[in-house]
Amino acid sequence: MAYILVADDEFLLAMILTDVLEDEGYEVATVSNGEAALSAVYKRRPDLVITDFMMPSMTGLEFAEAIRGDKTMASLPIILVSGAQGAVARERPELFEEVLDKPYQINYMLEVISKYIAK
Amino acid sequence: MTELHRLTSGIDGLDRILAGGFISGASYIIQGQPGAGKTILSNEIAFAHVAGGGRVLYVTLLAESHERLFQSLDPFAFFDRTHLGSAITYVSVFQTLRDEGLDAVVKLLRRETKRQAATLLIFDGLLNARDRADTEFDVKTFVAEVQGQAAFVGCTVLFLTSSNVSEVNPEHTMVDGVIELKDTLAGVRTVRELRVRKSRGSRAVGGLHKFEITDAGVTVYPRIEALPAIANAPALAPGRVGTGVAGLDDMLGGGPPAGTVTLLAGPTGSGKTTLGLHFLSQASEAEPALHFGFFETPDRLRAKAAALGITLAEEGTALEMQRIALGDNILDKLAYQLLDHVRSRGVKRLFIDGLGGFERASVHRPRLVEFFASLMDQLRLGGVTTLATWELRELVGTDVSAPISEISAILDNMVLLRLIEEDHRLIRTVAVQKMRDSHFDSAVHALDFASGGLVLGEALGARHTRPNPQQTRG
Repeated sequence: MAYILVADDEFLLAMILTDVLEDEGYEVATVSNGEAALSAVYKRRPDLVITDFMMPSMTGLEFAEAIRGDKTMASLPIILVSGAQGAVARERPELFEEVLDKPYQINYMLEVISKYIAK
Repeated sequence: MTELHRLTSGIDGLDRILAGGFISGASYIIQGQPGAGKTILSNEIAFAHVAGGGRVLYVTLLAESHERLFQSLDPFAFFDRTHLGSAITYVSVFQTLRDEGLDAVVKLLRRETKRQAATLLIFDGLLNARDRADTEFDVKTFVAEVQGQAAFVGCTVLFLTSSNVSEVNPEHTMVDGVIELKDTLAGVRTVRELRVRKSRGSRAVGGLHKFEITDAGVTVYPRIEALPAIANAPALAPGRVGTGVAGLDDMLGGGPPAGTVTLLAGPTGSGKTTLGLHFLSQASEAEPALHFGFFETPDRLRAKAAALGITLAEEGTALEMQRIALGDNILDKLAYQLLDHVRSRGVKRLFIDGLGGFERASVHRPRLVEFFASLMDQLRLGGVTTLATWELRELVGTDVSAPISEISAILDNMVLLRLIEEDHRLIRTVAVQKMRDSHFDSAVHALDFASGGLVLGEALGARHTRPNPQQTRG
């Protein structure tokens, strides 16, 4: 079973996404900021990370930069979802596999996820 | 006393009420029921701060999603998406509160404030924090710690809360100021009011002040009578300002003295508006005129003037006509609109048609006397000569009841326009009831219409000494 890490400081959004992904058969863990996401991926490497942009302690951008900066982790697929920073994120295509704008269609999200994970 | 460093709210009226704005590094609670306007107000303050070079950290707990918030803020002029994630950052700390408690939130706020180099911290959801606290002491401690740490780095804090005003809120004792927003019903209309309940270190303007929320954002209208009193008005410039009706000026000892307020009181149809048109027709570059009315539109007034043979200057030259439709008007907003028009054009002749339009806008009637007194003081201060109408209820007759108590506070001069029935005809009459600093002719005169407008007729006393032709017969 594929394991996805969801990082979002907005609790309700993280919960909703988690429920949908679990219904699809994925195993999901959630963290509420970039720093927690970083320590989580080193503790147990996920198949995919879905991260928000604006978060306390460390933003989604800073998280991705840290991941790409580490050879052992650099291949980790990261999807960014953002309300306002979509444009900023797209300027850094080396950081994110995909950038989705909030609010996103859940079916589109599932499609994107299946591109990067074999279930 | 050293001048406190202020953080402007970006909202003129609110800055005035706060005697210059928030105090930098201080903490405030903004309190109000859901829908009262806390979120919009705090975001407008945030973006004004960003526009001034500041950096903002906006912290939420359990609230609508940030994206929903941004969508609801999009229509407002102050909202600028390009600042999101840079000069202004929105984060939620709910999970930290839920999993680790208030102390962890305090730590997180301190770190994040420093990380973002924030000079304004907005914490939306103090009520949620209270729910999480075990005791009231915990809440007070939380507020005190956040406040203390922010003050240490010169960061101003706004705590937003929905908690009920009537509850005794322990956190109120910790902060430097409390601003309450209310959204209530007055009769059938909505009234938004704010009040500064506490203001440590600064003298705020107390009481309830109206505000409104439009696409331009939040506009606050401080109660004009509550603002710091105007210093003694300069001595009136000597001279008279002609009404435009020759005989009437004679009755008034030469015309209304410059810079005074004259009330034209009378029932409908008695000639008040026409008299006002004469007054406006005397507009010149040296004496710009303004019509500020609630009833007839400028087009209708101009048509009326033309029909009567009264010449009015072109709109936008020496004469400007402003009409406010009767509706859900805000009393103080009307005053500011009027004063803005007067000041921006250096108006010297003002015709208000009528004071009843202001009265209809008021939701707290007892303050009308102070409101009018303050408004008139400001007009006098500007050297404006004002004619204002007031419609009396008695349609035909000789009895006159004062339109409002303490009327002498409002006006300098009073002219009565009445309709009396004589020989089965309605005759218009005019009389001067009062002039504050001038002699006047107290005789009642007829007021006739001729080509060119109003003309003063003979004194009614003289009229009655003339034998009635019908009486002498038989």
